[in-house]
Parts: sequence; structure tokens; C-alpha cells
Amino acid sequence: MWLSFLTPDLFASAIRMATPLALAAIGGTICERSGVVNIALEGMMLVGAFFGVVVTLATGNVWLGVVAAIVAGVLLSAIHAFASVTLRMDQVVSGTALNILALGLTGFLMEVIYGHPGATNGIAHKIGPVFNFPTGGTGVLATIWSWVDQIVFSYTPIVYVAIIIAIVAQWAMYRTRWGLRLRALGEHPRAADTVGVRVQAGRYVAVLISGALGGLAGANLTLEQVGVFSDNMTSGRGFIALAANIFGRWTPVGSYLASLLFGFAEAIEIRMQSFQQGNQIPVQFFLMLPYVLVVIVLAGFMGRAVGPAAIGKPYEKE
Amino acid sequence: MSETHEAPVVRENLWMKVLRTAGVPLLSVVLAMAIGSIIIAASGKDPVLAFGALLKGAFGSPEQWQIGNFRAFGDTISRATPLAFAGLAIAFGFRANLFNIGANGQLLLGAVTAAFLGLVLGGQPTWVAIPLILIGAALAGAAWAFIPAILKAKVGAHEVITTMMFSWIALYLTSWIISGPLKDAAGNSQTPMLPQAVWLPTMDQLLPAVFRTPVRAHLGFIIAVGLAVLVWWILKKTTLGYGVRAVGFNQWAAQNGGISIAITTVYALCISGALAGLAGASEVLGVQHRMFDEVSAGSGFGFTGIAVALLAKNHPIAVIFSAILFGALSAGAGMMQLTANVPDKIIMIVQALIIFFVGAETVITWFIKRRQKLALEREGDSDVA
Repeated sequence: MWLSFLTPDLFASAIRMATPLALAAIGGTICERSGVVNIALEGMMLVGAFFGVVVTLATGNVWLGVVAAIVAGVLLSAIHAFASVTLRMDQVVSGTALNILALGLTGFLMEVIYGHPGATNGIAHKIGPVFNFPTGGTGVLATIWSWVDQIVFSYTPIVYVAIIIAIVAQWAMYRTRWGLRLRALGEHPRAADTVGVRVQAGRYVAVLISGALGGLAGANLTLEQVGVFSDNMTSGRGFIALAANIFGRWTPVGSYLASLLFGFAEAIEIRMQSFQQGNQIPVQFFLMLPYVLVVIVLAGFMGRAVGPAAIGKPYEKE
Repeated sequence: MSETHEAPVVRENLWMKVLRTAGVPLLSVVLAMAIGSIIIAASGKDPVLAFGALLKGAFGSPEQWQIGNFRAFGDTISRATPLAFAGLAIAFGFRANLFNIGANGQLLLGAVTAAFLGLVLGGQPTWVAIPLILIGAALAGAAWAFIPAILKAKVGAHEVITTMMFSWIALYLTSWIISGPLKDAAGNSQTPMLPQAVWLPTMDQLLPAVFRTPVRAHLGFIIAVGLAVLVWWILKKTTLGYGVRAVGFNQWAAQNGGISIAITTVYALCISGALAGLAGASEVLGVQHRMFDEVSAGSGFGFTGIAVALLAKNHPIAVIFSAILFGALSAGAGMMQLTANVPDKIIMIVQALIIFFVGAETVITWFIKRRQKLALEREGDSDVA
């Protein structure tokens, strides 16, 4: 039974489910490393998911949809940057306001544009897989090839982009001048300021990057996975991404791997729903699974994780 | 410590104090409404018609008042009731520097517990059953906040993430309870109707001389007002309240003063959870008289509670007024959608803007004061020179 449960498709599904979490988590990592808490990742994903669909439906071009999703995420994050860096507002309060704004704005515009609440119209074609290698045939080699094809070559573009971003961000954070400065902003902004690093500008850039990644995560949800936007469809993923960022010890690759764990929980949840015969276990218990896992991981891990020292503290020049 | 912090430099009377502290929130509401109007106009609808309809939906008209028909205002108060409980819950957490963003989960647990106890205790006399149900719901809410509280106190897991996760878990747990063990005889995803003995009496039943036609507002609102006073008293006059404020104000100072941060955190978050649980119970006993998915789908309450608390600057008495404002927005939204064809989601946008402006204004006033202080210091320096 378990052998038929653990198919290559399950792992592929885990990587797909991990993608939006990972993009948002890496955004959260970059943002928090600069010293700014971003609980508005949820809202950034939501506006990205929504405007991706809106622009795709309006123009018929799904790539313009992806661009729109990123722009929407950046615009929302610009408000967060202005509030938390320039106004030195409480970052959690600003994030909360933006999450509610995203929920209200998407719901409002949905009714204005499509005339009905709940969900938008569906897009005609989702973004398909990058590769389309032929599979099939019999024999051991053909089976192994079909596994490789599923686990390595079956994904849509943003899934690969997320992996590339994780690696590039890790490299940039630890091997470039920008990364060194970014980390300094979050650890000791006064010291960074003293040696000539522009603290506020650096934080703006970090927050805007997190908005772009949040928007891209939203695009992955609607344009690659679901094909339609529905109310509050991010369902807490922005917060799970924050947990992944902590579990990944505020590093991009760590964030990706932690997201993979939560993505795996989601994949198992979906698989188990269809796997069980009859209805012995109510569906709600499967749906709880990813959230329970996040709590367990935080409970077991949290004491040993240390975040950036100046996180959440607005910086004021002397 | 925070006593001296709160004491104004110049002695002022109560009205001056109210005006000074309420100025920023009132300005925030006006600004948010103005931007809301712009958004309505931009979407091709009439903002004057929209807000006119909203006011009528929230407060009714003079002709209605003359015949003792306060239905619209009753709707506002009935919407304000769970918001007041939820607002108190979140404000109490904020006082200890804890952000109970997942109050909605505790609210749902309170609601489903109230429904369960209502079915069990329905045969008991009202004055026995209702207090027991309310206590049960408060305990359920507190229990749901307990694990995040312990995790915060023991390992430092941030309550924003853990309470949010628990809120989603609560959503699915209650959804299972009402579609499984507690589903009604017809097999719908809702509990059976509660016996009338455990319904909270409505205002027209309590005060028939004033409310001559049926209203939705119920005893729950009076309980909320009483609790607001109690919470104010706890914060102001008790050792527990002092600890909560001290931890919220300055953790290190509080610890040096002999206050346990861990224990205070657990107390504060659990009390917050208990208040949120009562929000759910009051909605079930006072308005819906059963628990169904809409109670959770209207999951607005827990989140709107954040706006309620922030607008009230976490002052328990101010929470009541703040809740009435958001209750009015929510009650009027239906009429607005009907009359002016403006999606009721605009209320959420206005809510977000209010949170934003209140948050930003606090910073701005702080900034102005600081600038004044710096200017004064500079004058002092030049005197010495």
C-alpha cells in the first residue's frame, strides 16, 4: 500500500506545492535580513494571484499576467516600505493593514470587474510545463526515465525559477557586497550607517524584492496551478512562508528546503484525500495537516533559531 | 512605571483628554472614508448615494425612530457585539505586547462550544444555563490560545505565526464538528437550532418601552460593555493588569521588577483567547442560535477585531465605541450594496485604511513631539555656549 502511495508523482507534487511558499519565504528572508518584518507576504501573494488573472484575461497573454502579478506585489510592498522605513510605523500593524487591504481590494475589484463575488472567471490556458519529453514504453529503463521525467522535467517555469532564485539569493547574500550590506542592515544598522551604507535605501530595496517574490508566488498559484482566483485563496500561505523562513534559519536555500517540507505535507494531504477508500477520515483532518506541521516544527525548532538582531526596529539617523 | 508615562504634563479636564486622544482616530476614520469614496467613484459608482445608504442601513431614518423602530441601529449594535468582544481580546493582548492575530480561531472554538453546551444544557433554567455556556466558551477560547501562549513563553515561537496556524486548524476542526458529530437532523453542515431557553434576550424583550419593534441587538452587548469595564479595571487596578502593562511596556524592566514574563505572557494570551471565545458564544446565543459555516465564513469578526482594538488604541472603554463604528459599517454595507450597487468589500478597504492611518498617525504625533523636544534641547545647548 505504501509503495503505491509514495509515487514519483508525490514528490513532484511536493515541489509544486512548495514553490509559492518558497518564493514568499525567500522574500521574507531578504526582507527580515534587512531588519524589516513582513507579515504582509500573504497580501502580496493575494494581489499577485489576482492581478495575474485579471491581466491575463484582459490581454490574453499569460506572461503579461506574470508581469502584472510581480508589479502588484511590488506596489503593495512599496506601501509597506514607506510605512515601516520612512514613517517608522509599527511593521506588524502596517503588515496587518496591507493584508486586510489586499483581501478587500481583490474582493471589491472582483465584483466590479466580473460582476460576481467569490471567484474570477477562469483563464483559458494555464502556463504549461517547460519540457515535454516523450515517455512510455516498457522495461526498467523506461520506468526509470518516467520517474526522472516526473521528478525533474515535469514542472512549469516558475517552479524552476524558484529554485534558481533560492540559489542566486543564497550566493548574493553571502558572496556579494550587496549581501554583506543587507545582513549588516538587519544586525547592526547603526554600524552599517557609520561606514556609509544607506540604511533606508537598502531596506527599501529589500522590501520591494520581497514584494516582487510575493507577487510571483501569487502568479504561480493562479497562472500555473489553479487557473482561477478565488477569495482569500492564499489561505495562510504567507504565514507558513514566514515559518519556513524561520525554520530555514533566515537563509534563502534554507527557506526553500523548509518550504519543501511544508509543500510535502500539502502534497500528502491532497494525496491522502483521494487515496482513502470511502470516508473513514473526514477531509478536514487532512486539510489541517500543513498548519499542524508548522506548529510542530516551530515548537521543536524555535528555541535554537536566532533571527537578525535589529529585526522589526525602525532605524533613525542620528 | 507606565503610570508616570501616561501622566500628561499639563493637567487637563476629561473632555480635553478625550479630544486629544480621540483626535487622531477620528481623523483616521474621516481620511479612510474619503479614500473609500474616491475608490467608489473610480469604480463608476456614486459615493454620496453609497454612504447615504450606508448611514440609513446602519442607523435608520427619523420616521422609523418616531414609531420606536430601531431595527437598523439594532443591526449595528448586534454586529458591534462580537466585534467588541474580539476587540477587547486583541487589545488585551496588545497591552502585553502580544499580537493575537488568530483570535478568529479562539472565536470559532468559543462558538462551537457554546452551540454544544446550548444543546446539552437547553433543559436547565436560563439563569443557570447561559452563565455556564458563557464560561465554557471562554474556557474553550482560552484553551485554544494556550498552546501558542506556552510556545511563546517557552521557546519564543512568534504568536503571529502560531495563532494564525491555530486559527486555520480551528476553521477545519469546527467545520468537521458541525458537519460530523453535531450536524442537524437533516444532515446539513450546521448544528440543530438551540432551545429558546439559552437564547440571549433581545433589546426589545429587555426594554419594550423603547424598542417597540423587534431588533437584533441582544443582551450580549450589555455583557460586552460590562466586560470592557472589568478589563479596564483589571488593567488599571490589579497586580495581574500591572504585570501585563509592565511586560508590554518594557520587558527587561518588568523582569528586573520581579515580574515573570513567561507567566504573564501565558495569562495575557489566554485571557485574550477567553474574550475571543465569548465573541463566538455571543454570536451563537444572541444572533444565529446555532453554529453553521457562515459563522466561520463571516470570519471577519476576529480580523475586524484587530482594527477595532487599534482604532481604540487598546483602551477597553474606547473599544466599545470603536466596535459600534465598525458594527455600523458592517450593518450599513448591505444597504449600500443594494441601493448603490457598491460591493460590500469596500468596508474591508476602509478598515485597512483606518488601521494604517491610526498606526501612521501615532508615529507622526510621536515624531512631532520628538522634533519639538530636540528643538528645545538645541536651544538649551546654545544657551550654555
